[in-house]
Amino acid sequence: MALKKSVTPAIEDAAESLSFADLITRLSSVSVDERRQAALALGQFPEAVLPLCRILPAESDRAVRDAALGSLRRLGGVEVAQHLADFLRSDDPMLRNGVIEVLQEMPDATASLVETLLRDVDPDVRIFTVNILESLKHPGVEGWLISVVEQDMHCNVVATAIDLLGEVGSPHALASLESAANRFADDPFIRFAVDMAKARIRQE
Amino acid sequence: MKRVLIVDDAATVRLYHRKILTDAGLSVDEAVNGIEALEKAMQSPYDLYIVDINMPKMDGYTFVRTLRADLSLMQSPAIMVSTESKEGDVVVAYMAGANGYIIKPAKPVELTLLTRLLLGEPD
Repeated sequence: MALKKSVTPAIEDAAESLSFADLITRLSSVSVDERRQAALALGQFPEAVLPLCRILPAESDRAVRDAALGSLRRLGGVEVAQHLADFLRSDDPMLRNGVIEVLQEMPDATASLVETLLRDVDPDVRIFTVNILESLKHPGVEGWLISVVEQDMHCNVVATAIDLLGEVGSPHALASLESAANRFADDPFIRFAVDMAKARIRQE
Repeated sequence: MKRVLIVDDAATVRLYHRKILTDAGLSVDEAVNGIEALEKAMQSPYDLYIVDINMPKMDGYTFVRTLRADLSLMQSPAIMVSTESKEGDVVVAYMAGANGYIIKPAKPVELTLLTRLLLGEPD
């Protein structure tokens, strides 16, 4: 263990002093430490957004993936949010979870994409977008949730929004919740979810 | 009384499934993600787990894989419940070690029957 601890800072220091091109090469290294340190060091290069995004789907080591996501969060901005949002279609739940967490921590950039994502043809993408809203510190959250509850045609998307409205909604959302129960009158789960959400909102 | 752990980050889903399974005469406990579920299972293993796929901190696939790797927990069946209906997700769920897969929202009859079947109580 002692040897490992002495080696890692050396790699870290070396990575910090490498050029952008060398760091990109190291993203493909067979060494997990080198890939992780390269991913971390690339967080200071705005042009690293695409290379960091490209390694995410295939990267098998969680520490390297977390380092890349951390660098993307540091770089921030709408371009990063747009590229990360593409991974909401991934079949890998760990990658989706990581992406959702980063998008939640970039409220302004993410907010610019929310309306488009909530109109995505894939209901799973719409559900994950509602999941993002759960911790997105933005004044538009309740309005977006109400629009989902009033307009989305997929019961699981609506159910996810109802659940979240129960947590963050105000009395302003009550009429929309009832309209969802009427739209999905044959679905006992939606009725149950609406009753729960209304009770939680009235308690607060 | 058989004990079931519902693992889901959505409070409404947990309560909905709790009501269905309590009405079916089962003892039900809840966890909000895979990590909390593992902690509870390690303390006192359950007879069956009902697990959402998409959860923060630890997703359902990882939770079920961890169950199957633990000698004290590997025997208990797990039903994965998800909003997703892609064929690939069903395959991944069974490869992770799930014994059943239900698309949300679970129909009360479907959830009750599958639960009873996996608990060895077909009636």
